[in-house]
Amino acid sequence: MIPVQRGRGGWVSSRSTIARAVAIVGVAVMLALAACSSKKPAPIGGDNNSGGSQLGENGIGKGGGNSLEDWKNGKFGAQGPLSDIHFAYNEYTIQEQDSSVLKSNASWMQAHPQTRVQVEGHCDERGSEEYNIALGAKRSQAAKDYLVTLGIGGSRISTISYGKELPVCTEHDESCWSQNRRDHFAVSQ
Amino acid sequence: MKRVIQACAILCAIVLASIPGRAVAQPAGGGPITITIAGPGSQLSTIAVSGLKNLGGDDDHRVASAFVGTLRRDLELSGYFRIIDPHAYIEDPQSSGFELGQFNFADWRSINADFVVKGSVSASGAGVKLTAFLYDVAQQRRMMGKNYNGDAGDVARMARRFADAVLEAATGQRGPFDSKLALVSTRGGRFKEVYTQSIDGQDVFKLTGNPTINLFPSFDRSARYLLYLSYKSMAPALYLADLKEQREAKLDTPHGRVFGGTISPDSERIVAAIERGGATNLYLITREGAEIRQLTDTNGINVSPAISPDGATLAFTSDRSGSPQIYVMSLAGGAPKRLTYRGDYNTTPAFSPKGDKLAYQSRNNGRFDIWTIPAGGGEPVQVTDGNGSNEYPSWSPDGRYLAFSSTRGHNSRIYVMMVGNRKIISALTEGNGNDSCPAWSGWLGE
Repeated sequence: MIPVQRGRGGWVSSRSTIARAVAIVGVAVMLALAACSSKKPAPIGGDNNSGGSQLGENGIGKGGGNSLEDWKNGKFGAQGPLSDIHFAYNEYTIQEQDSSVLKSNASWMQAHPQTRVQVEGHCDERGSEEYNIALGAKRSQAAKDYLVTLGIGGSRISTISYGKELPVCTEHDESCWSQNRRDHFAVSQ
Repeated sequence: MKRVIQACAILCAIVLASIPGRAVAQPAGGGPITITIAGPGSQLSTIAVSGLKNLGGDDDHRVASAFVGTLRRDLELSGYFRIIDPHAYIEDPQSSGFELGQFNFADWRSINADFVVKGSVSASGAGVKLTAFLYDVAQQRRMMGKNYNGDAGDVARMARRFADAVLEAATGQRGPFDSKLALVSTRGGRFKEVYTQSIDGQDVFKLTGNPTINLFPSFDRSARYLLYLSYKSMAPALYLADLKEQREAKLDTPHGRVFGGTISPDSERIVAAIERGGATNLYLITREGAEIRQLTDTNGINVSPAISPDGATLAFTSDRSGSPQIYVMSLAGGAPKRLTYRGDYNTTPAFSPKGDKLAYQSRNNGRFDIWTIPAGGGEPVQVTDGNGSNEYPSWSPDGRYLAFSSTRGHNSRIYVMMVGNRKIISALTEGNGNDSCPAWSGWLGE
């Protein structure tokens, strides 16, 4: 057991120093990315784009950064170089219309060999939290497998699932659910 | 803040040592008397909870108010009693006695009380001595009495133990209130944090304070340890908090990514849902995270582990049939047996304290309801009423109640219901956020 001190709103384990360092690095990476992509049009909603309910210019969740970092900072939906793909309800197979998106994402990765991508699996709000985290993992793995078959090195692609915890759209209907059932591609150097 | 927490830890230790609630000696010739009251569907019994007689040191009634207020709330939450409005009480607790023969039952009969609680308090420094009795008004008989010694900070807990004893005297079965509730809430912000509180809503403690995602609290039997999942390191991991020592450890799961878990009743082992290559399977691991044994092996989804009270059986959710369904298997290994066939989305199983039943959530028309099913298989029974989405059932330690989350109100709240008569008794949480993932502990210190 690691001794912990009572923080302001909970216990802080000694590991959190590392976590904080990772978070700071993550923010730095994001800022660097934002600087690199500053010539692109700003997303609709701009910096007030909080809570994840606003649309990006070309639809939902096209941000280039890590969704949990964006969520923490209340800046969901920043533009990124790679596009999201979407899934049918409770499914994790790649849909036909998304193979062109994945091919285009793979081309970008081939043109930018120094980059790494984390594929984030997301789900709609229906179903239990835990089942959805596992479902999101299936979705992120499906995209990773597809990118690898397109020739991207597997070591450049990591996966993570956020289940239904980070919706980009918060209405309780299919128009939102279909946008939330997604893989998001977060880019890092 | 830290000093308060430490003080609480010390107090709790004192409580455990000193307030097992010694039974007051029964009257000569009288053994414990049990009266069956208020079965499902029948009318509530009426109970008056009198103020306590101050034998010294509680001139401002702080101790008496804490005891009486907590006891009234707990008896109300039990679903068996209607508390008679204190304004109707005729007798002055200070000028009358509290022992049999020292007060007039007619004062309570005339306000239609079936039962009355009377008692006394003496306080000196931080120490509190409290005595309370439960009387049957119609039969003019003492049913039960308890003495408690402890600290001023222990008084609400004394009341919870007395409420449990009142239920035992009146229904034949100990009540569930000397326990804790853990839950996840977004109150005060956007982020899901883990909290603990008493069942009656006091002693709210915010366990996590990280602006990420925290989920799935589960207690061991003693309620000393609490396991939960957190993304606070930006990737999901299990954390085991020691609520007594006020510290926690991150589990180092060997490889793969952990998506949830539950701690065994004896706190020695954990079953965790771990993803490897996209597939999520269940693993028996040590409390440090080392793998003991892989329990499921499919290329799909196996989540929501629940361990039976005797530690022998695992219930979980799997999509191996094509939809999420509940299965049981021996924790020693072997083939899982499918339990649920009704509905195309059944998940979050929870074993009853006796281990004979499972509660779970089942989807119908896009919303969930709570159902129960015999743990060995059989006919499922719907226990919630289709009002809102009802999720994450968790049993009370006595097995009579379920806590669950429901969207029946404006926000998602934790509610308590009586399983036997399907009566929704009350919300257990309030505030501006959404509450989910309730976990009802066993009785404290057992």
